[in-house]
This record gives sequence, structure tokens and C-alpha cells, in this order.
Amino acid sequence: MHVRRATIALIVFFALTISLFSLVAPRFATTSNMENLMGGFSFIAILAMGEAFPILTRGIDLSIGAIVALVGMVVFDLSLIFHVPGYVILAVALAVGALAGALNGLLIVGLRLQPFIATLATLATYRGVVYAISGRQLVPGLTTTPIADPWITGLETYFDIGGALGTDDFLPLPWFPLSFFVMLAMLAVLSVFLLRTKVGRDIYAVGGNAEAARLAGINTGRIILLAYALSGLCAAVAALLLVARLTTATEALGFGMELSAIAAAVIGGVSLSGGVGSVFGPALGAFLLGAVLLGLTLLGISQYVQQIITGLILLAAVGYDRFLLIRRQRRLAANVA
Amino acid sequence: MSDEERSGADRRNFLKTSLLGTAAVASGIGGLFGRFNPSTGALEVSSARADTRLKMAFVQFQPHTVSTAWGKGIAEVLATQQIVDYDQLDGQAKLEVQVSLMDTLISQGVNVIFLQPVDSVGVAPSIAKAKRAGIAVITLNIDATEPHAAHVEMNHYFGAMDIAKAMGDAMGGKGKVAILNAPPGIIIRDQRTNGFTDGLKKYHPDIQVVSDQVADWDRKKAQDVLTTVLAANPDITGVYGVNDSMALGAMDVAKDKGLKLVIFGNDGEKAALEAIEAGDMTGTQYTDVFQQGRLAAAVATVLASGGVSAKAFASQGHLLMPYIIATKDTVGQIQPSQRW
Repeated sequence: MHVRRATIALIVFFALTISLFSLVAPRFATTSNMENLMGGFSFIAILAMGEAFPILTRGIDLSIGAIVALVGMVVFDLSLIFHVPGYVILAVALAVGALAGALNGLLIVGLRLQPFIATLATLATYRGVVYAISGRQLVPGLTTTPIADPWITGLETYFDIGGALGTDDFLPLPWFPLSFFVMLAMLAVLSVFLLRTKVGRDIYAVGGNAEAARLAGINTGRIILLAYALSGLCAAVAALLLVARLTTATEALGFGMELSAIAAAVIGGVSLSGGVGSVFGPALGAFLLGAVLLGLTLLGISQYVQQIITGLILLAAVGYDRFLLIRRQRRLAANVA
Repeated sequence: MSDEERSGADRRNFLKTSLLGTAAVASGIGGLFGRFNPSTGALEVSSARADTRLKMAFVQFQPHTVSTAWGKGIAEVLATQQIVDYDQLDGQAKLEVQVSLMDTLISQGVNVIFLQPVDSVGVAPSIAKAKRAGIAVITLNIDATEPHAAHVEMNHYFGAMDIAKAMGDAMGGKGKVAILNAPPGIIIRDQRTNGFTDGLKKYHPDIQVVSDQVADWDRKKAQDVLTTVLAANPDITGVYGVNDSMALGAMDVAKDKGLKLVIFGNDGEKAALEAIEAGDMTGTQYTDVFQQGRLAAAVATVLASGGVSAKAFASQGHLLMPYIIATKDTVGQIQPSQRW
């Protein structure tokens, strides 16, 4: 399996960051901090993995934060107003997310809208729908009612792996949240899908050169629709994990999360010009951002400085992406010449 | 160079740069945070603080005059104790950021967390987690559904009742009132609205509330909303803004149209007090938020220095702040140093 240089650089940088913070930040190298990293950023990793698909097709999905809110509010309403059983809610939530993403795809493919414009429009529309269907505003008293359905609250469970394996004596292990395992499972499935199936390879082809892909017989419309539907589906999974963690959904849920997901995806090596990237990179990128944020908070560094540092990391990642792109183009030109 | 040699050279270059980079960064960080221990000759990096000091943090909703003023009050009291390390963190108006910050504070082992929740239910799991760790949580203004050590509040309900009384008196006991309200789904909004309507029922049953529209806590939005409401109900004589910003928006509209309206706000911001002194706004509920911060810090200091665990509480503590209904007659009592 060919591992890209960018991915290796990311893994090295991640390892360096963890080691650095373990040395200088008090309480960073503790099991509880690792639990916070996994519990607090697994859903961002899932969002980033979902965001990778539209970016791979040379598009972008700005509406995933709004889709998170939409799915969250649907779960809230179904659970607290209509008392629908939990396993049905899970299925409906995933369907709503996938459909919301598919709508993005339809706007882009059918109406030939620019992905930026289309998803910007759906971002505003979905937020509006969230406010319109908000159970917190329709039924007074629900603002103080937590979601108690075991199928949903069960998503926020921690597993004492160390205790089960008996390793606690010589290697204290953190308690692993279920959201981390959900993230790993999605990583595995999406990786296999992207790298080993024809449809996955078609996604790369469409992103690399959409016209060439179309001429080669790939149904580019269907591929783009699928990419955005996957993005919506990942947003739905992230929403379920987030709602389980908070035991509620708010109208402002997921506000600004699309930017974190895009940053994580770009840091993870997904090229904004399409056709280059993986799902492992975005997931690791999300945990890298998480580790940096947690480490800087533990160091007592102001949150405004944290945002500056996050911006600098993003700039470095984009700069490295551009540098690799230019070198790739130069090498292609040298080969042709 | 052939392709293989070139990629080999690239690989070596990459490894070289990353090693040099690591060394540079590590020595930089070591220089920033490390100390050279003269007795052992080793380079030490600063470790966690000594256990005798208390650690407290305030997780705010987002930067705002109110939370900044609380922070000042809290910092003033905590600094005096000489043994407290205090930090103010920004929730960026995002629930998941507040939850993540609380998780970090809990794993740091703080003694007390001051919290202005973004949402009353969403922070409940984090408060439960803090309680299990023995950490006292003190909420400011916005309560949470999970019982915690103390809730220190601006007296939303009873204050709003007194606003209704004062407003009715100013209106002569009759007339029509419009409410400029916050988005629904927030406890504090319900407390301030219900207090107002219950107060009207109790003290001035002849006064009617003819409009209750959402103006998003915002001055500009309030201007637009009130203009529309006045077009539909031109005989409105009173306006209650559930916060000062919205009441100031109403004042702007009244000045613009040359209307004589009885306008009341809620909070007690400096701008509102100045408007009352100038006669443009009729009144507001003023709470000394610096004092609110100080009282919260006092509770925290006594609990933490007394070694009281959060688990020792039989039920949640409540503290309602004293307030003044500031009108032209009473606003002079409020000293400049108390204004925020």
C-alpha cells in the first residue's frame, strides 16, 4: 500500500505534538485527558472524514454544521415530543442526514450550482428549518428536559478496556468512549470504500479531472451526488454522538463546525483542488487539532492565542499542500518535456 | 540524478529537516518553559503546580460586558486570597466548546468551576462529571438542570415583577404595552417575561400586553421589530425590553418618531443608566454585576478552602442578587465604579 509523503508528515507531526505536550503541559499525558481527546473530538473526526468526500470531488460542503443541527433537532423532536423508540430514531436520523446531503448534490449536479454557493444556500436553509421545527420553541418546558432514550444516551458509553484486558497494572489505559470506536469503524469502512472499490476510485477520478472522467464513461453526476450524500450521512452520525454527549440538541448546534471539519481535512492532506487525499488524514487531522487545543488549554494559554495557532497550523498545511501540488506539476511538466 | 536517487535524497532531506525541526522546536520550548536546575545540573520543565494552591476557572458564554464584569469581581476576590489560581475561559457561544473546556478543567483537578451555561440541559452531564470528582460548580444567571453547588442569579423573576409595578405606575395604571423579547427556549427569558406578566396581573390588571415579539437580545433588531409593532398598534404607550439592548433600541425608535413612550429594560448597563439620567429611558432593573462576581467568588473561596466536596451538598444552593429598579429618582444612587 503506497503511503503518501503528506500522510507520513502528518503522522510524524502528530506524534511530535503529543510528545511535546506530554513534556510541557501539566496533566496532558494522563488517562483522563486522553479520554477527553477521544470523547470530545471523535465526532469532529467523523465530520472531517465526511467532508473529505466533497472536497475530493473538487467541491466543498459548507452545510455540514447545519445538517448536524438539523439531525440533532429531528432526534430531539422525535424523542421528546413524539416519543418514538430509539432504534427508529437512529435510522431516521441517518436517513435525514443522507437526504440533506443528497439535496446538496442535486443542487450541484442538477442546477449546476457552484458547490460553495449551493452549500452556502443549504446552510442557511437548514438552519432556518432547525428553528422552524425546534421542539424547544414549540413546546415550553422541553428546554429543561434531557433526552433519556437509552438507544441514544447509550452512545455516550465508556469502556474500561484496560480493566477487561488486565493491563492496568503496568500500563494505565484510558476508558475508551463508544464514539471513538464508531469513528474507527467508519474510518475502516470509508477507507475500504474509497481505496478498494470502483466507485471510490471514480471519486478520485472525478476530482482529478471531471471532464476526463466523464469522457472515460464515469457517471460524474451520480458520483458527486454520492459524495455529498456521504458527507450528510457522516454529519448525521456526528450529530447522534454529539446529542448523546449533551443529552439535548440546541438550535445553534454545530455552528462553525464545518470550518473545523474543513481545516481538519486540509491538515489531513485532502487537496482543495480535488483528487488527492484519504479519510485517514482528516481523522488524524481532527485529533491533531484537538490535541493542540487541549494542550494549549492545559498550558493556560489564552483561547485567542489558541485560535491564532490553529490558523497557523492550517496555513502551514495548506502551504505544504500547495508546495506538493507545484512540485507535482513541475515533475509532470519535466516528464512531458 | 535518477528518480530513485532523487526520491532517496528527498527522503533523507525530509528526515533531516524534520529532525532539525524537532530539535529546534524542542529546544525552543525547553528554553521557554524549562529551567536549568543549578544543584542537579539537569534541564527541568515546569510541572504541575503545587497542591496547596487552589485552582478555579470561569467558563463564560462568550465575551460580553456582563461576563467580563463578573470576571472582574471574581478575580478581585480570588486575588486577595493569595492562594488561588484563576482563569477565565471563553465558551465561544458553543455548547460543545463549553463541555470540552469543562472536561479539561475536571481532568486538571480544579477546585471550583464558575459556569455561565450556553444551555441548561447540555452542560448537565459535565456538571454531573464534575460532581463525581468533588468539584463544586457555581452557575451565574443561567441555571442548569443538574443540581450543583450554587446558582447565583440576577433575580430575574421578582425583579421583572417590580419592573411591571414601576412601569404601570409610570403609565398611570392603564394602557398598552409591547414586549421586545429574547428567542424562546431559554430559561432566563421565561423568568423575565413571566415575572413581568405576573407583576402586571398583580399590580396593574388594567394594562394590556398587546405584542410580544422576538428581537434576539439585539438593539438593531429591536428597532426594526418595534417600528413594525407600532405600525400595527399605534396606541402603545409602554415598551418592556427583556434586556437593556432591546430597550435602548426602543428608545432609538421613540426618539426617531418623537413618541413619548414609557420604556423599561432589564440588566442595568451603563448605557441604560445614562439614558435614564437623560430622560430618554424610563427605568431598568439594575444589578451590580461586579458584586455578583464577588459573591460567587466568596461562595467558592469558603467551599474550597473549607475542603467541602461537591458531593456534600444535600440540595442545590440558590443566591438571588439584590437589585434596584433604577428610574430617574433612584439612578443617582448607583456610583460610577458600580457601573458596567
